[in-house]
Order: sequence, then C-alpha cells, then structure tokens
Amino acid sequence: MQTSSRLVKWLISTPPLLFLLIFFAAPGTIMVLTSFRLPGEFGGLAPVHILPGDTNEESGLTIETYQFFFSDFIYLEIFLKSFAVATLTTVICIAMAYPLALLIAHSQKKFRNLMIMLVVLPFASNFLIRIYAWMIILGPESALSHMINHTLAVFGMAPVTLLFSPFAVLIGMIYVHLPFMILPLYTNLEKHDPILLDAAQDLGANRWQRFWYVTWPQSLPGIFSGSALVFIPVLGMFAIPDILGGTGDIMIGNLIKDQFLGMRDWPFGSTLSIMLTLAVLIIAGLFSRLAKPVTKIT
Amino acid sequence: MTHRLPFPVVTLFLIGTVLLCSCIPQQNPASGNHAATRVLQLFNWNNYIAPETIQHFEALCDCHVKQDYFSDNEEMLAKLAAGASGYDLIVPTGNAMDTLIRQGALVPLDKTLLPNLKNIHPAYLKTQFDPENRYSVPYAYTLTLLGFNTDKMRELGLPADTWALIFEPEYLKKIKGRVTVLDSPRELMAAALLYLGYTADDQDEAHWNQAKELIIRAKPYWAAFSNTSYIREIAIGDLWVVHGYSNDLFQAALDAKKTGRHFTIDYAIPKQGAVMSLDSMVLHKSGKHAELAHQFINFMLDGKNSAELTNLIGSGNPNIAAKPFIRPELVHNQVIFPDDDTLARLEMITDLNYQQRRVLSRIWTEIKLR
Repeated sequence: MQTSSRLVKWLISTPPLLFLLIFFAAPGTIMVLTSFRLPGEFGGLAPVHILPGDTNEESGLTIETYQFFFSDFIYLEIFLKSFAVATLTTVICIAMAYPLALLIAHSQKKFRNLMIMLVVLPFASNFLIRIYAWMIILGPESALSHMINHTLAVFGMAPVTLLFSPFAVLIGMIYVHLPFMILPLYTNLEKHDPILLDAAQDLGANRWQRFWYVTWPQSLPGIFSGSALVFIPVLGMFAIPDILGGTGDIMIGNLIKDQFLGMRDWPFGSTLSIMLTLAVLIIAGLFSRLAKPVTKIT
Repeated sequence: MTHRLPFPVVTLFLIGTVLLCSCIPQQNPASGNHAATRVLQLFNWNNYIAPETIQHFEALCDCHVKQDYFSDNEEMLAKLAAGASGYDLIVPTGNAMDTLIRQGALVPLDKTLLPNLKNIHPAYLKTQFDPENRYSVPYAYTLTLLGFNTDKMRELGLPADTWALIFEPEYLKKIKGRVTVLDSPRELMAAALLYLGYTADDQDEAHWNQAKELIIRAKPYWAAFSNTSYIREIAIGDLWVVHGYSNDLFQAALDAKKTGRHFTIDYAIPKQGAVMSLDSMVLHKSGKHAELAHQFINFMLDGKNSAELTNLIGSGNPNIAAKPFIRPELVHNQVIFPDDDTLARLEMITDLNYQQRRVLSRIWTEIKLR
C-alpha cells in the first residue's frame, strides 16, 4: 500500500518535473552557450571550430559580447530605467489591488465568484487587442484627450499628449498586470480568520490598528507573490512600450527583441537576457530575505 | 480528503481550454482531392500579389498556388534558417537576396524560359546584389519616403520634398507630436545620412555619429518610432508627417479617401534622395517545381499581371510593359514609375557585418535612450 501510493506519486509528478527541467534547462543552456559565441554572417551564430590550428577569428568561444555589454554605461542605464518602471507599476498595482481584493474577500460568498470572474474577464480577449484599444482611447483625437485638453484650456494650461508617452506605457502596464495582483491578494485575504479581527477589537484596537497589526502582516505573502507576478513580466515587457510608448520609452525587453529580430545579434541578445535573469534572481533573493522576519511573526 | 480548487483557478483553466480549442486548425475537407494537381509553393510578403493574378495563373497552369507569408526579410531568413523548406519561389529584398545567394540557397534561373524578361526596365537589372541576374528577376519595389497630410502642410506652410521636414527644428516645432519615424536603424540612419549629404548606404562610423546627433536633436519633436501603426494614425488625422513606406502610405491615402476624411494624404520623394527596396523573385533550392516556378516568373513579368499588383497596393513597378494597364491616376506617380532624374536619387542598402551591426546597435540604443 505504502509503496504503491509512492509509485503513483512519482508517476504523477515525474512528467511535469521532467517537462519543467527540460524546457527550463535546455533553453537556459542554449542561451548561456550562445552568449559566448559570435553572430554569424547571415544571422544566427558563427560556426564553431575549436580545432587546433584554427585561425578563423569568427569562431570558437569568446567573451567579446560581455566586454561589449560592460564597455558602455548605456546598457546599465536601460536596466535601471526598466527597474524603475517595473517598481512603479508594482507599487501602483498594490495600491489599487489591495482595496479591491479586500472588498471582494469581505463581500458575501455568492457575489465573490462573480466579482473574481469580472476581474479575469479581460483575459478572454487578446492582449494585443486590448493594448490597441488603449491606443484609440489615448489618441490625440480621442474623446478623453479632447476632454482633458479642454479642461486644461479653461485654466489656461497648455494641452498634453497622452499617447506615446511614459504615462501611456504606465497605464498599459498597470491595466494588463492588475489582475495578477488582485488574484493572489484575494486568495490570501479570503483565508484570514475573522476571529483575529474580533479579538483585536475586543482588546481595544481601532479600525486602523486592526488593519495594520492584523490584516496587513498576514497579507504580506499575497503581496509578495502578486509583486513577483507583476514585477517580473513588466521588466521583460516589450509590446506595451512598442505600441504605447514614445521616442524615449525603451525597456530591456525592447532591447533584447531588437537584438534577435532587427540586429541579428543572438549572442548580445542572450547576454542581455542572462543579465536580466541574474538581476531578477538577485532581487528575488533580497525579497525573500525581507519577507522572512514577517513570516516569523505570524 | 477532497480538495476544491479555488474558483479563479477553475475559471482561468476553463478560459484557457476554450482559447486552446478555438486555435486547433479545422481539417479542410477539400484537401486530398487535389492530390494529383501540382502545387506551386510561394513564400511571399503579406498582401503582395493580387488575388485575381493567382486565379489567372492557376487557370493557365492547371496547378494550385499556395502561399506562406513573411512580414520582414529577417523573419523570412530566420524561418529558412530554422528549416522551413519546400518553397519554389521567394520574394526577398535586395540585401536579403544577397544573403541567400552567398549561402548558396538559390537555384540559377534558366533565362530561355523567361522571354518576358525584356519587359523589365534596365535600371532595375544588374543590381549590386546579383550583377548578372543569375538568380533573380525584379518583382516590385517600395520606397522609404515622407508621407503627409496635405491640408496641414498647406496650412502650416511646410515643404514636403525634403528630409529637413523630420530633422530641422524650424519645421518640426510646427508639427511637434504629430510626426513619427520608422523604428528601423538602417532606414532612419539612411534618411539622416541623405539629409547630411552622404549616401544612404554610407558605412563610415564618423558619418553615423553625425547622423546620430542629428536624430537626437530632432527626437523631442517626434511622437514615436513606428513601423506599422502610423498607417492608421495618419489616415485618421492623428499624425501629420510620417517617415514610412510608399506601399503603406498608398494604403493610408486610400483609407482616408474611402472613409471620407476632410483631408487628403499624399507622399513625396525628398530631393536629397530615398531608399529603394527592390524585391525580386528567386528560386529556392528546396523547391520541387523549378519549371512551374519559371512559368510563374514569366507570367508575372507580363505587363498586365505586373500591373495588377501596382493597382492593388501602389507598389513601384519595374515593368515597362505594365504601364498601359496601370490605373490612369497612378501612371504619373513618380513613386511607381520614376523618371530618370528621380531614379538617379534612389539608392539600395547593402548588408552590414556583425561588427558594424554592433556599432549601429550601440548608436541606436543611445538614440532610443536619450
């Protein structure tokens, strides 16, 4: 009985484990190897000849691409900028998702499912179509633009352009990623035991204290998982800056995409991807350190 | 122990399943019936042949034409590099064709099967990419130029025939936020180099840096870098000046007209010159029907068939015999049939090696960030 259930466990968990291992390890390895090669004449990679007496300079393994990356501050600047956008998006998503998740978790059971359904409803339409819709909403001839600029004109202020700006990028990012913050927060808040709040009230805690000392610390795991689900995709996003951004709204994702599709420089694209992965791992490490003492308290 | 999945997970799963199911391709009940018919496999740009032309050819050859599409040369090369095969004919642009030739991926043409080759204007033959036309026959071309809202240009008193329009603050300040340029390092650098008095294909790093300075100075006035969305934006009046492709601007002008806008869209070749992207028909060595492919090339070299594409998308036409079949309003269009003076100002762009690509990539990143 014991052995058979163990066998079943293995049988069930091995395929997904293998799947993840192969499809994470294989592309990862290819990426690392690619970053040490040189771009081929026709795109792709230059052929490898690691044979003795091979004098072809465009073959073999090289750290030239890494030297190229570190030779210039400009790439680091793009990293910092992307981190700033990702952080801002995450913070705004938390601020917007928290009250909503709280509202859903505290509403009657029969309404909860409906509300969650409404949160995930946008996923039913294609992501790009929704971004293009924002293009229409924010366009200079749109009703929204006209309304805002007429209002500004009343106060004697110069008209603003909404589309093709960092503002439009931020709106797009928040719009797309907000559900990924709401869902983990909701699943977390829903599990909170209301007795704790009652106890705090009995002990004389006011509304604010009950939130800050009871609800908030318990919800931190939800915030962390939501943040990861928002921060990391935003960091690598290229479609939104491409479509809604202006002339200066480049992010790492765009840079990486350009290397593969425009510049035919797979090694540099891979190097950038590796740097991005490393940066994300470092941040995740810092986050988990930050999260630890909190989990001890609860 | 029962474990109920949280509702959101179930919902997401259901939505995912529905989306997946809708993506499964439908079996075509007709396939299999035509097992005996020959199939010409064409690897072509999106919307780059008129539907009636295909019908005419299918009737003529008693065969079936099947098309796969690409939206840029890099994509086409990447798909071939990844092992896509079975293509009889491909329609690459000059520099991509150069790559295919040097890779040894093309089959030399048998000119005796192409009597209609005489219809091609000599200016489009013997290009630097295939000096003997051993592998390629010109198909159609696109110019990279300036498109504009004619009413706004008149209203603001702006010149339409110079690259100064997108590079000089003196003009740009009147159209701030209503201009886009192409999101393509080679195309934008070519425009800047032409404006500075160099050639579009100039590969001198010092000249590139001058062009970079010019671009960075003009950038604050531009709304965005855009490769496709400008077509719609200029057609609805959001944009007034765009750096774009002639075929796309032809489409935008048509759209503005059809939807009854109170303005018109036009385009012009700047006096400093412009980039010409000449697309050619080539035979890929993975193709199985070389003879049928030759028949198709000869068919497309016929003036009437070549004209059908120009009438549809406003593409530049290298075929002299096509002129009588072109819609009257297009015959005098300099973009479609340039005169000798204009032709002398059109340049093709060659490929760069990887060191040059990295220098350009570095410049491009700086342009994007500043």
